[in-house]
Amino acid sequence: MASEGYNLRLYVAGQTPKSIAAIANLKKICDAHLAGRYDITIVDLMKDPALAQRDQIVAIPTLIRHLPEPLKRIIGDLSNVEKVLVGLDIAPTG
Amino acid sequence: MSDPGLMDDTSLIPEAEETIRAIHRGSVDAVVVHAQGRFQVVTLTGADEPYRVLVERMSEGALTVSEDGIVMYINSRLAHMAGRSADAIIGRPFADLFSGNVPPQYRSWTPPPEGGTRHEVDLARPGKCLPVSVWAGPITVGDVSASLVTVSDLTVQRRAEEIAIAERFARSVLEQVTDPILVLDNAGRIIRASAAAEEVCGMPPVGRRFSEVFRLQPVDLQHAPQLPSVPPNDFDLMLATRAFHGIEVKLADGRAAGQTFLLSAGPLLDDAKCSVGSIVTLTDITKRKHAEEQQSVMVAELNHRVRNTLAVVQAIADQTARRSSSLTIFNEAFGGRLRALSIAHGVLTKTHWNGVELTELLGESLAPYRDRVRLQGSPIMLPSQTIVPMALILHELMTNAAKYGSLSTSGHVQIDWEMDYPNLLLFTWVECGGPRVQDRKKTGFGSTLIERVAAHELQGECTLEFPSDGLRCKLRFPI
Repeated sequence: MASEGYNLRLYVAGQTPKSIAAIANLKKICDAHLAGRYDITIVDLMKDPALAQRDQIVAIPTLIRHLPEPLKRIIGDLSNVEKVLVGLDIAPTG
Repeated sequence: MSDPGLMDDTSLIPEAEETIRAIHRGSVDAVVVHAQGRFQVVTLTGADEPYRVLVERMSEGALTVSEDGIVMYINSRLAHMAGRSADAIIGRPFADLFSGNVPPQYRSWTPPPEGGTRHEVDLARPGKCLPVSVWAGPITVGDVSASLVTVSDLTVQRRAEEIAIAERFARSVLEQVTDPILVLDNAGRIIRASAAAEEVCGMPPVGRRFSEVFRLQPVDLQHAPQLPSVPPNDFDLMLATRAFHGIEVKLADGRAAGQTFLLSAGPLLDDAKCSVGSIVTLTDITKRKHAEEQQSVMVAELNHRVRNTLAVVQAIADQTARRSSSLTIFNEAFGGRLRALSIAHGVLTKTHWNGVELTELLGESLAPYRDRVRLQGSPIMLPSQTIVPMALILHELMTNAAKYGSLSTSGHVQIDWEMDYPNLLLFTWVECGGPRVQDRKKTGFGSTLIERVAAHELQGECTLEFPSDGLRCKLRFPI
């Protein structure tokens, strides 16, 4: 990952509607605004709930931005694009 | 941070409060609970959990596609079918799942109408593509409009269709082939039979042993493969397990009793090249054998006729030479008699030596004087053995008439014939309008030949008369 790259971790709960909506929304936003500059890890807490402890996850879906620092956290299905862009400190393009 | 959906670790807003707000907004649908020393995920819309489990575990592939054609969810069965992990597919365009002839509504995603659409396409996967049937229909996931897609593996169905086509083709071949063809299992029992096979043996042969329905008799031939002399059961096993090629046999009974067949057998192999029985063919060569026998008879007959003809030529040459005073006279007489022989062979060849119509022979033999010969009689078919003698007699009569008789002037010849019961032909040659006949004392070779041929070759009688108004020849011989 380049120094300006985004390291994102999305916590989901199997195939709940909000989880799959969050996955789709995140991919779409990243492709549109961070093309080639992001790395997404999807963590399914249905498979291993204990992983919630690592980033102190309570609500699902939750997106954690590990890089660039500081660590940021967005709770919800990421359907509000503008808020996600603000939360991730991404200047809207276009 | 003032935005209620966002927070960082330095935020003063407790995460629990933000979580509750998010739940109220309806943007989360699961929470992590820490109880009794372990973490547990609790879904807030748990009513659909059984369906999610069902979809995840169903034997068909399933996925959900967003409004803009992005894969949002894929079950493990479909991931397995595609040979990739679910993570590698989720978030990718739906059309990327397929290869080859991908429908345009997949390439440029068009959400399916109510009732859904179905296409048969190739699922892209490492190595060989997988033929699949894809059904897509609209659904609502929470408050998101999406499409539900099911993907069914068509490999088994395609294989079954291929087998069914091959089966139909094989059945069609067996029904239409004109020779008896049988498929035997490894024990020598008939498991398939052509329609011709059933017709020949006169009973449904399937399920019976080969030797039960086909009793074969060997055909004694030198330098040819022979039918093995073994008990019927052993022969069935040999047919099922060994290759045979072109053994001539006859059927002992049934509708084709006495007919000659060529028996051949070859192994029937499965996909693994293991023998699972044999294919036995019985090619009916009865007509061919008959033709071969007829050919042998014809060759023998031809030899016989050639020898006879040479003997006749020899005799004519000897007699003509004896009565000729010069080589010129010999050449003329001998040449004319050879032409008569040639005419006889010509008309016989036309009818394949099956007899010749009398007027046909007269027409050919008397061609130079066709306009001066009058014929009177019913159509009569002369047997082939009478043609050469008759041709020679006609030649002698015509030559004599042309030199001394009615054809030497402006006269004509009247020819009449009729049958004398039961099988005697009465044939009369009368010359009219020619010069007056002088006293006939010297008998020429022509007259001698006519009388000898009539007596020996036609087994009949001949009367030659020389009244003053013209020669008369009466022949009476069996036909």
